[in-house]
Amino acid sequence: MTIRNPLRDHGQRYRPRIACLKKAEKVLLEMQDLKTGVKSQPQRLVITTIPHAITGEDIISWLADRFQVDTQEARSFGSMLVALGYIYPLQDHKRLVIKPDASLYRFQTPYFWPTQQWPVEDTDYGECDGSRSHFISHPVTNTYTFPYTIKAIYLAKRNIRKKGILELHEQEHYNRLHKWMNHKWDFIVMQAKEQYRAAKERKKPDRVVFDCQERAYWVVHRPPPGTVSAMDYGLDRLIDPNADEAKTPDFYARIMIFTQQSIMRPRVKSSVSIGALVKYCATYNSHDPFLSKCLPSNPWLTDDVTYWTLNMPYVEMPTKMRVERWTFSFAELLSDPRGRNDFRLFLKKEFSGENLAFWESCEDLKWGEAATMSEKAEHIYKTFLARGAPRWINIDGKTMEITVKGLKHPHRYVLDAAQTHIYMLMKKDSYGRYQKSPVFKETVKKAICPEEHHFTDAQLEQNAKKRRPSLSPIILRQMEQEQRAKMAATVDITQLCRFTTPVPHLAVYSGITDFPSANASPSLPFLAHSPACPSPISVALDSTSASERRVEAGEGEGEGNPAAQAAAGGNVSKSRMALSLHRLLKRGCTPATMFASLSPKCHSAAGTSSRIQPISPDQPSQAPPRRIGNFFQIKVDIPPECRIYPIESEDEDEENRAASRGGVGAKEIICPWESLTPQNGTG
Amino acid sequence: MPLVNNKVGDDCTVGTDKALVDGKAQVDSLIKVVACYRHLASYVGGCTDSLQLRDELRQTREKALTLAVSICNHLTSHLRNKSLPEGQRKEMELLWVAFSSSLELLHVDMCKVFNISDIFSLANTDALVQTGLQGGGSEVAARALSLPDLNLAPNPTLSAGLESQERSTMEQEISQMDHMIDDMEMKVNVMRWMVEPHGPQYAEVLSSSDSASLALLSVDEEQPGHQPPCQRSHIHVLLLLFAVVLVAATLSVCIIFFT
Repeated sequence: MTIRNPLRDHGQRYRPRIACLKKAEKVLLEMQDLKTGVKSQPQRLVITTIPHAITGEDIISWLADRFQVDTQEARSFGSMLVALGYIYPLQDHKRLVIKPDASLYRFQTPYFWPTQQWPVEDTDYGECDGSRSHFISHPVTNTYTFPYTIKAIYLAKRNIRKKGILELHEQEHYNRLHKWMNHKWDFIVMQAKEQYRAAKERKKPDRVVFDCQERAYWVVHRPPPGTVSAMDYGLDRLIDPNADEAKTPDFYARIMIFTQQSIMRPRVKSSVSIGALVKYCATYNSHDPFLSKCLPSNPWLTDDVTYWTLNMPYVEMPTKMRVERWTFSFAELLSDPRGRNDFRLFLKKEFSGENLAFWESCEDLKWGEAATMSEKAEHIYKTFLARGAPRWINIDGKTMEITVKGLKHPHRYVLDAAQTHIYMLMKKDSYGRYQKSPVFKETVKKAICPEEHHFTDAQLEQNAKKRRPSLSPIILRQMEQEQRAKMAATVDITQLCRFTTPVPHLAVYSGITDFPSANASPSLPFLAHSPACPSPISVALDSTSASERRVEAGEGEGEGNPAAQAAAGGNVSKSRMALSLHRLLKRGCTPATMFASLSPKCHSAAGTSSRIQPISPDQPSQAPPRRIGNFFQIKVDIPPECRIYPIESEDEDEENRAASRGGVGAKEIICPWESLTPQNGTG
Repeated sequence: MPLVNNKVGDDCTVGTDKALVDGKAQVDSLIKVVACYRHLASYVGGCTDSLQLRDELRQTREKALTLAVSICNHLTSHLRNKSLPEGQRKEMELLWVAFSSSLELLHVDMCKVFNISDIFSLANTDALVQTGLQGGGSEVAARALSLPDLNLAPNPTLSAGLESQERSTMEQEISQMDHMIDDMEMKVNVMRWMVEPHGPQYAEVLSSSDSASLALLSVDEEQPGHQPPCQRSHIHVLLLLFAVVLVAATLSVCIIFFT
């Protein structure tokens, strides 16, 4: 077996138009065999009899016998043959289906077979011999408009025979063709007349047969409005993928890149990959609507859309099958919107929702618009990655380094390493716990298992009549956006850690959460939960840089807590939290304004001073002012009081600088890609 | 001088008038032949396909080609004649459009026949599709060739050589047509959008006597599957009638007998 063009087509295998036609022809030739084919009977008309009529039930039983399939499938196959135009019904000629009763059909003459409509263009496809290649396809003769000429002749002929016989849509076609091919109209009318006269030369029964044949041909190729045509084959190929390509430098460059990538591809032993395939098939076998039953019923077969309504993306109660799919792999869970919601709920209870939020925001960055990319990247950094970020995620130092370096020149995939890390973290850790959690168990219990439908034929016809188009994708997208906006409107700041700046617009990534109530009461629970929320202190402890620890320690000392250096980050956080909350209570601000003012992007918070300040302006000594240079600092243009916890530089002489600067309450988180200017008090 | 000019003009117009009439007649006959060819082509591959049919096809094709060649020369020469008056030119262009459309039709039909005869070789008559046709295309061919009666010599027996010879001739003819069409377009520039037809949008109804075939079809349609019961009911009615007549006859015989 040779593989033609193994490199050049790059997976674009030759796809002939409706490849099933050739196979259908073979079947048809078998069917019409006098000895082994479908048995035929004469059709009795008023005046004459015409031979070679076959009944629907004979066709179906022959097909079932020949292919060893059940009656239903034979019936579908027979209907396909009729829809393609190889067999035509003698009664009820507009409905191209096989009826399993004594209704009559006849074989179509090869002249009207569907493969015959592409005589010239298809010369180079398939197993053709070179002799045909000299049939030139004329731009003049224009094989695309030619079928319309023939159709015009046909309609004119029918009109000649009996005026007013054309149906409405045919009438419209006729008028349109007349307008379009006006210059040929004389010819068309003359040709119609001549064809009509030539037909009169034939014997009566033959004339009837020919009329039937022609009518059937046009029903197949120009179906009446409201019917489905089997001849729809999608887009026409403009080029032949197997044709010879010009050998330009670009062509060779493409081949070189392709081969280099092929060399670099990781390899897997075939036993391993086959094993994976087998496992996949075994797992998904019962979930595949082709291979097993689809509960309640397959909408494509029964025209009943219950299956789709039950499996909408954000449905309240998922089906059992869907929930079972979530247990197959973590990717399945995340890719199903309902599953993701469930998982988010679980993580919320576990207070590690920021992982999923980060992952989602990375996805958004990867697949989003290019225009907003750098803002998104900046935002993600400020929200998740920066030291003291409101929803700080726990990734190791190396990854953080890579990410931050990449963020200087942000592109779509800059957060890939971090995203993968978080994904693996969730998969290895949270996913397992999720499957044992009460949230999941509840979902499983509530999942519905719909009853299978058993429709009778009459009901099936009813369903077919009631077919309606589904919701427009525009409406679906609007619904999705509304959903997202709803989710975004409720941010959960119980998830946020002490150095929190709850950001309303950040809520896109935060999932469904409760609006923060007054902070006073949750203070203690906050403190209790703070270990779950990785504070910068714990990061400092994780990280290898000594200076940071020192700085932290310095700040901790500054705050009056000498235990900063200890591993008990909780103490420090407790103290800081207490301090900040104390300040909050003192000032008695409303949460709303406070939170609003704490937004990193909030410029208008000039008047209100923030209540939660990790580092108070009273302790200027540990305000390490902004160091210029190769560092990732988020610059935020907000008044001093509103500044969030700064990012310290890893520089060794940070401390000194910090000491020297002094008096600056301005802490800024500056993004690495923004131009940095030395801090001053007002920022 | 004007007289002389007129005379020349008259001759000219008379000449071209005759040319027009000639051309029209030829184009009409080409259209007729093309229509007949189409009918014949619909027989190919069906159960009535035979050597005779192929022969008829060949003859029709040849006639069409000769006609086409002569029209081509005729029209090309006239249309390239710059001194042709405007009205005549329009007529010529109309003929040209009709001619080129007929050629396209013929080309398509020829290609189809070529493809089908590839699939259905006459050597294997079992494979021919049972289309329900009973008669051959002889009458149509006769019409095409304008012969009152088609008396063909009995054909020689089928041999492989004959078929391949047929095929190669067909190929040649098709390529000849290709070249002719190309040449036409090269030599004469007819702007199709400027051509205006004469005839009405709807052709007049030719005859109502042929509504018989339509009647056959419509009868078929209105009583789907009803044919056998219908005929059975006819028989029942007849039987009933017969029985009634019988009863009446016996009754009358009895009356006569007893009186």
